[in-house]
Amino acid sequence: MEIEHEETDAFMNVALLATALLNGVVTGMIYALLGIGLSLVLGLLNIPNFAHGVLYALGAYFLISMAQAWLGFWGSMLLAPFGVAALGGLIEYAGVRRLYGVHPDYILLLTFGLALVLTEVIVLIWGPVGITVLPPPILAGGVDLGVTFYPKYRLALMVVTLVLVLATWLFIEKTKYGAIIRAGIEDRDMVNALGINIRRVFTVTFATGAGLAGLAGALVAPVRGLLPTMGIEILPFAFVVVVVGGLGSLPGAILGGLLVGVVQSLMTAMWAPGADIVVFAAMALVLLLQPQGLLGKR
Amino acid sequence: MKGLTRRNVLQLGATGAAGVVLGAPAFLRAQSQPVVMLGIWPFTGPFADVGPLLDRGVQLAIEEWGGQVLEKPIKYITRDSETKPGAATRRVEEAIDSEGVQYVIGPWSSGVALAVTEVAKRRKALHYFSGGTEELAGKRCHRYGFQWAVSPYTAMHVVMDKFMELNPQAKRWYLFVSDYAFGWSVEKYIKVAGQKYHIDFVGTDRVLLGTREWSGFVAKAAAAKPDVLCLLNAGQDVIISIREAHNFGLAPQVPVVIGWGVGVEDFVQLDPKNRENLWVGTNAYYTVDTPVAKKYAETYQQKFGVPPGYAPNAAYAMTRLVLRGIEKAKSTAPADVAQALEGWETVDWPGKLRINPNTHQTERDYFFLRCKPEAKMQHAYDFADIIAVGATPLMPTEFNECKDIGTL
Repeated sequence: MEIEHEETDAFMNVALLATALLNGVVTGMIYALLGIGLSLVLGLLNIPNFAHGVLYALGAYFLISMAQAWLGFWGSMLLAPFGVAALGGLIEYAGVRRLYGVHPDYILLLTFGLALVLTEVIVLIWGPVGITVLPPPILAGGVDLGVTFYPKYRLALMVVTLVLVLATWLFIEKTKYGAIIRAGIEDRDMVNALGINIRRVFTVTFATGAGLAGLAGALVAPVRGLLPTMGIEILPFAFVVVVVGGLGSLPGAILGGLLVGVVQSLMTAMWAPGADIVVFAAMALVLLLQPQGLLGKR
Repeated sequence: MKGLTRRNVLQLGATGAAGVVLGAPAFLRAQSQPVVMLGIWPFTGPFADVGPLLDRGVQLAIEEWGGQVLEKPIKYITRDSETKPGAATRRVEEAIDSEGVQYVIGPWSSGVALAVTEVAKRRKALHYFSGGTEELAGKRCHRYGFQWAVSPYTAMHVVMDKFMELNPQAKRWYLFVSDYAFGWSVEKYIKVAGQKYHIDFVGTDRVLLGTREWSGFVAKAAAAKPDVLCLLNAGQDVIISIREAHNFGLAPQVPVVIGWGVGVEDFVQLDPKNRENLWVGTNAYYTVDTPVAKKYAETYQQKFGVPPGYAPNAAYAMTRLVLRGIEKAKSTAPADVAQALEGWETVDWPGKLRINPNTHQTERDYFFLRCKPEAKMQHAYDFADIIAVGATPLMPTEFNECKDIGTL
């Protein structure tokens, strides 16, 4: 009986570890999507976009409104990020652009103010209480993976985010426009001097970053539900991802996202109160030992 | 009239005139001096969604009184507690200093309330609170502090007794507990209540309030193969943990019991599928069939389009008790009102109640709900049936640490 009990405990521990790792990867990929968007904007424009979190929240809220109105879950999942990207482009065009000539603190204040205003707009339109979004029926419930039982939607999320992160990486690394963005991150004056409309690049990059945040929000809605403050809550982790991965580095954002997600998840399983503490402690450690981040160059 | 000389008449006249000249402004000042009530509510932070609802409850009660009590205007002000003890106490102190606050209602979190009540005690402002901590009417009791919510001892017994009556085989319970004063109290008493039924608490996770990633905890719970997943957490943590329990296939096969829930505010955030096999203990539900409760639910629903949940109910009921206490005391002085409330047996929301003079615990009914399947809901807010109501067992004296409530 004793041996049987020990075997059950061992199986439980393996199951817990497997679940924690899977959860970590799913959360990490969401962080990576957020981190890539934030890193692009931060790398190119030299501004920490404090509205990035609320754009993530808007992705989720656009999803629910579009789904309820006419598009259904899948159509909304495709369109909601474009809605957020358009809003991001508008923010850059109508607001951020006007402050390029002055001290960067003004842009920081603008995005911070926008984050507060847009959060209140969410409360006004969608109400202060949370909203539940169910996964589509085909992805409802879970599957037995042998070592653990795991929700289908989370597995699908893992695959989709992996594809999206790879696609974004290919876009940035292998396309002409991606090369312009990378060049802009390295030296925007040089890009401008080559006759490329750097302002348009700024707008497109800001919109792309916003779209990625919106996409992360829409994807995560069936897992975490919707709450007006969801963007404010996730923003610190997106910054941690960028700092750990390295400013402006796409592979860094992916690595940072996965590291933060997995560490957070494993800590939740082992010692829950330390789950967030360890993430910020890791960031402090990276800043001390390698201030440019794990894969950053500056 | 014999002996009343011209001089006497002049003296009386002069005294009367002086009284009118000097006394009337004081009298008029007293007439117009407002009764200042502070709602210390969470408008930001983990319970930010609840703050506006609590505010509604107070406003509706004051509206019922026509904005005045004992012919004095009621000045109702609010401050943001942020669900942070430091911010809340600082703002209560500031409101007492700058606005002359005499009555403090709130906040929403037990941990914050225990800090606020120390300010109320020191500044002699009457404090009414509704929450799960046993300490406000226990170890930290004082003459100016009152607890509206049922004691966690009573509440957990009402929940456990009814659930085990209906599910006698459900012996393995897994607990998710909010890691602060509220969670510790309800955890302690669900375990006490479970002793009678030989409940095996196969796992307990104490989780920080505001945790957004619950999948690890749900996976842990699922691995323990419980008969019941019992949630002793609060705010969004409740909603997210229920969603995850469904995502992981733990619920609805395994019943989810919320030991200390808010009712309507939780239900509206959950999809009907997430409410399957959901059981909820709560301090307030809108279908309570007593005159005050029915009238309030109707007024609230007419005004806001949704029925009131625990939060606006608690705020409304506490404000009513304070206002009725002022009327009973025929005084607006917090010390007089505290005395008037002590030992009072009356009928209000939700019905018959008594304010224990030794602990200031409001002794009243607790409710246990069972959510309805979507097919049986008769309208959009027909979420649940009340399956048990109880004001007993009262907390035995050996558990209560309020040994001396002190002086005014």
